[in-house]
Amino acid sequence: MTLLQFIFYVFSALMLLSAVGTIISRNPVHGALFLVVCFVASAGIWLMLQAEFLGLVLVLVYVGAVMTLFLFVVMMLNLDKLPSRAGFKKYWPFGILILLLLVGLMIYVVAPSHLSLASNAIAIPHPADYSNVQALGAVIYTQYVYAFEIAAVILLVAIIAAISLAFHAFHQDTKRQNISKQVQTTAAERLRLVKNMGKE
Amino acid sequence: MQLLLTAILLPPLLGAILAGIFGTIIGRVASHRVTVLGVLISFICSCIIFKNFILDHQSTQNIIAYTWGTSGAFQFNVGFLIDNLTATMLMVVTSVSLLVHVYSIGYMRGDAGYQRFFSYISLFTFAMLMLITANNFFQLFFGWEAVGLVSYLLIGFWFTREPANFGSLKAFIVNRVSDVGFILGIGGVITLFGTVDFLPVLAQAPKVAASLPTISLFAGTSWSIITVICILLFIGAMGKSAQMPLHIWLPESMEGPTPISALIHAATMVTAGVYMVARLSPLYELSASALTFILVIGATTALFTGILGVVQNDIKRVIAYSTLSQLGYMVAALGASAFAAGIFHLVTHAAFKALLFLAAGSVILALHHEQDMRKMGGLRRYLPLTYSCFLVGALALAAIPPFSGFYSKDAIIEAVHLSTIHGASYAYVALMIGVFVTALYIFRAFFMTFHGSCSANSASQDNIRENGWVIWLPLVILAIASITIGMIVKHADALQLALHAFTSLPFWLAIAGIVTAWFCYVIRPAIPAMLANKFSWLYYILIKKYGFDDFNQIVFVRGTRALAQLLYNYGDQRLIDDGLVNGSGRLIQWISATLKRLQTGYIYNYALAMIIGVLALVLWQMLIA
Amino acid sequence: MFNFTLILPELFVLCMVCVVMLVDLFVEQRQQVLTYALTQLTLVGAAILTLCIYCIPTTANFSGLTVHDHLGSVLKLAIYITSFFVFLYSRNYFRQQNMGKGEPYLLGLCSILGMMVLVSAHNFLTLYLGLELMSLPIYALTALQRDKEQALEAAIKYFILGALASALLLYGLSMIYGASGSLDITQVANVIGANSTQHPLIFVFGLVFVVAGLAFKIGLVPFHMWLPDVYTGAPNAATLFLAVAPKVAVIGMTIRLLVECLPGLQVQWQELLIVISVLSMILGNFVAIVQTNIKRMLAYSTIAHGGYILLGFIAGTAAGYSAALFYTLAYAIMSLGAFGIITLLSKQGFDVETIEDLQGLNDRNPWLAFMMMLLLFSMAGLPPTIGFFAKLSLIEALVSTHFVWLACIAMLVAVIGVYYYLRVIKVMYFDKPLDNKPFSLAWDAKMAITINGLAILYFGIFPGALITLCQQLFWSGTMLN
Repeated sequence: MTLLQFIFYVFSALMLLSAVGTIISRNPVHGALFLVVCFVASAGIWLMLQAEFLGLVLVLVYVGAVMTLFLFVVMMLNLDKLPSRAGFKKYWPFGILILLLLVGLMIYVVAPSHLSLASNAIAIPHPADYSNVQALGAVIYTQYVYAFEIAAVILLVAIIAAISLAFHAFHQDTKRQNISKQVQTTAAERLRLVKNMGKE
Repeated sequence: MQLLLTAILLPPLLGAILAGIFGTIIGRVASHRVTVLGVLISFICSCIIFKNFILDHQSTQNIIAYTWGTSGAFQFNVGFLIDNLTATMLMVVTSVSLLVHVYSIGYMRGDAGYQRFFSYISLFTFAMLMLITANNFFQLFFGWEAVGLVSYLLIGFWFTREPANFGSLKAFIVNRVSDVGFILGIGGVITLFGTVDFLPVLAQAPKVAASLPTISLFAGTSWSIITVICILLFIGAMGKSAQMPLHIWLPESMEGPTPISALIHAATMVTAGVYMVARLSPLYELSASALTFILVIGATTALFTGILGVVQNDIKRVIAYSTLSQLGYMVAALGASAFAAGIFHLVTHAAFKALLFLAAGSVILALHHEQDMRKMGGLRRYLPLTYSCFLVGALALAAIPPFSGFYSKDAIIEAVHLSTIHGASYAYVALMIGVFVTALYIFRAFFMTFHGSCSANSASQDNIRENGWVIWLPLVILAIASITIGMIVKHADALQLALHAFTSLPFWLAIAGIVTAWFCYVIRPAIPAMLANKFSWLYYILIKKYGFDDFNQIVFVRGTRALAQLLYNYGDQRLIDDGLVNGSGRLIQWISATLKRLQTGYIYNYALAMIIGVLALVLWQMLIA
Repeated sequence: MFNFTLILPELFVLCMVCVVMLVDLFVEQRQQVLTYALTQLTLVGAAILTLCIYCIPTTANFSGLTVHDHLGSVLKLAIYITSFFVFLYSRNYFRQQNMGKGEPYLLGLCSILGMMVLVSAHNFLTLYLGLELMSLPIYALTALQRDKEQALEAAIKYFILGALASALLLYGLSMIYGASGSLDITQVANVIGANSTQHPLIFVFGLVFVVAGLAFKIGLVPFHMWLPDVYTGAPNAATLFLAVAPKVAVIGMTIRLLVECLPGLQVQWQELLIVISVLSMILGNFVAIVQTNIKRMLAYSTIAHGGYILLGFIAGTAAGYSAALFYTLAYAIMSLGAFGIITLLSKQGFDVETIEDLQGLNDRNPWLAFMMMLLLFSMAGLPPTIGFFAKLSLIEALVSTHFVWLACIAMLVAVIGVYYYLRVIKVMYFDKPLDNKPFSLAWDAKMAITINGLAILYFGIFPGALITLCQQLFWSGTMLN
């Protein structure tokens, strides 16, 4: 076993275990943290596959931004522990069985005997000065521009959907900024001097 | 040509739709106006086609207007086959229909279902035109069923009356029985010829027949397929054209309004069977057995239903039995391979039988819907025009030269006489006696209605008067047609034929019939009653219509009911209701209970089901591979 | 390579999405008249553009990510037309049932854009993106009625299970990608076709997942479970939307994936589809019988109809595919009308839910009842409606490929199906209405439902043109590969 393989297995094990942890942990904060570990581990695997840009973006965007936001939300909602899942005990042996079957099948199918390695030869390593970002940028804006734009539209839809679901109409007690009012304030309104009537 | 045909076919349909759906909105007058206009357009266009084909001898045209669907090698086309036969039929259908439309304006006045009536007869005209213009079996069948449907609706037009409902059901059911034969026949045509279009079928027929295809219907027997097909198709015709033993529905159909009896049950629809056999005449020519079958059935019908007409007291029923008898003549002509004579009789019959019905209708209307001839009599004084028209019709029917019926009937009798196939001599005798019987029953009706003393009371006698022009105009036109058609068609030797008649047997038989009727019903009105007493068994048989109705009632109706009861008790109640329905109900309950356990509403259950589904499919495919 | 003319319809719709969004936000309007008008205008414009480029021969565009062909164009036109009617039927419903202002139109347009991408996809990437672009707005549309718990529940179920199905599909596609080394539909087809005798197991493995994903989107057993719950729980207008155009688009995707991309695995997917189709037809028709909720009943009938559509694919011939497409278009018209009527009948604070809500419809609005009857007749497959021809051509295709037993099963369950359709007709015509008030419709809705109902009849009597169109799409040579 080379060092590279060893690192790969470490990351893989980490990723799988933390993924399982995300699912079974009853404390949401733990769950979110497990997910962070999972992301980091998969970023590591990507780095080994010479997809540096993707690996870094994964850490930056998901770990740095998305998961942080998640943790904020979870903490703000003060979800201590999720209610125990009643059906879980009843189903898990069954679930495990299905899982084992599926995994077994997958392993069988992608085994070297069925997936000839010849057709999936190892890629030639790129030279050190190879720019992953440049390569990505080159295809995203040429070959895959159509798909890229559709992905952008999907994000737009996500925004529309999220806003239209979260925000319907102003209620009377909604607290919000009135920008035009803010802009039109005068100096007199901004500061009100109150005489201190209390003790000195 | 296609445009012309569209102009023939669509106006009646449009009229029917307008009067049927928007009848209450556009009102009575507008309803009959649109329908009459529609049929008028059809009639005018039919005249053009008639001129082109009959007078200018245009050649046969086969037009495919629209392909409705394709199934394998079969195409379901809407197409038209126009030749002399079609042109003639177009003329008959549209002209009679037009006259009946006009007549109905008077006859149906004040009826609650006025618009409905006009919608129906217009629809009927459309369906009948589809039938006679068809160039394939499917379209023929469409028209066939459509006229049957409208006929059912019109017999039961006064659906609050019990006999009307009974009659309409009877007509419907008997026709379904014959349709079985017809459908099987079409199926046979498809398997044998691989197409349903008339022209290819008729063109291939001699070649196919030469190879003598046979079929074993029962073990050990072998039948010529052509014969089987011909007879099956003819069974369809037997229902529609009311041949024995499927004739029983036609007398009952008289429960419908009289214009309908004239249009549908005398002039057009009932002749569809005759038309169909004539259309397929090259096919029938290939099977002597089928022709014998047809000849015997036709001759039997011609004689025995005619005899029944002698004992009827309802004026419409007399004419209905006369229709049966005349249809028998036409069918016998077909059986004797005298297709032209059959169609010729069809045309003349359409004219004089429509005339008789409409004249009878005029009488009935004048007597405020009284149909029993025993309560009539002496109407000659009150209804002179109707009287003379009825007389013309009766003379034409009795085949007195130079009225049209003479020429056509004479041709048929001659043809049967000359025919050499099996059963021809029997048919000849039957038709001969039929001539006498025909004259007897129609003049019996004539004398009972118009001569003798008036049995209506004097107060109502004053009310009896001729109806308006919409009633008498069609009568007069039809009377003129009844007189002249024969002479026009046989224009060259009309006179010679008429003179020759005075030396022939049929003529004297007819005269004998008239004289007998005159003697028994005008001179000595006691004779019929005496005969009825003396030959009470015979009279009983005739009154019972040879027991066909009772036989059907007992064997088929009661038998079917008993069978149905049996099936209901054991099959339906026990097996289907308890076993299948409640059982499947229980099964479904069980299934849905089981499925409900899956359809829990919980997402994880659904997801599990999906995963298990994938897993099962993967495992299965992997095991195969 | 980059022919912008060929994606003009998509570009136009995208631009109009932005325009509609801004107009809805900034222009004060009563009852969103302008938003509605612009939405419908978008569909009309897209239809015109699609027609303009219809005759351009088949070309792969944008480095093979998308394809312009007749199949895509026809499907797109079907999507525009049905969606036009959907918005027309739903307009009042959106207004009365508190479903936001312009959002339903906006989300609908986005979804339509997704369908357009989907049906002209020629690459797994576009295919998947189109599918998601189509589905996302529908999830939101389902949840738009926020004060209704049922709708939210339906949306969550739809979303999570939809995500699961997408994952299955994606997993399957990735397997095929891994084994074939390409995402391009033609190239994958070539790779698989190259060694047609013995396929690596991995293709079959991926195929099962792909079929599972497709079956979920069409709503087939055992991936159907979301469908009754979502159809029932969603607001009527959302049900209407998701029952019509997305079905057409997903069948388009099925054609792209199975017929164009994986014809080499036909033997395998035929076997899979037979099982799924038979189960769907039986379960759909049987369970529909015991339903009292009309939307649920129609949902189960949708499952059954999905099973019927698969029959065309099972036949595996050009005739079969065209029959499946014809059935899909017929089904789109039928469900458009049926769910349309349910939507039209719903009023403020009152959703038509149970079959009893249709009681005595004939007394209240005979024309609407008549149209509903036509639609139900067609769903039951009775002549002279389009449904009859749809079933007939499927059966014919099956029989000609010697799947007679399958045709027999299809006929049998169809007969069972007639029962529950007729029950609705009986309720409409023979039961006394609970509410005697006559029900009147706005002129545009009345006209639309009339066109819809008469289309059922028209294509039943004159099906020739539509059938020929469907057949031409599958003639060899019109497809890219």
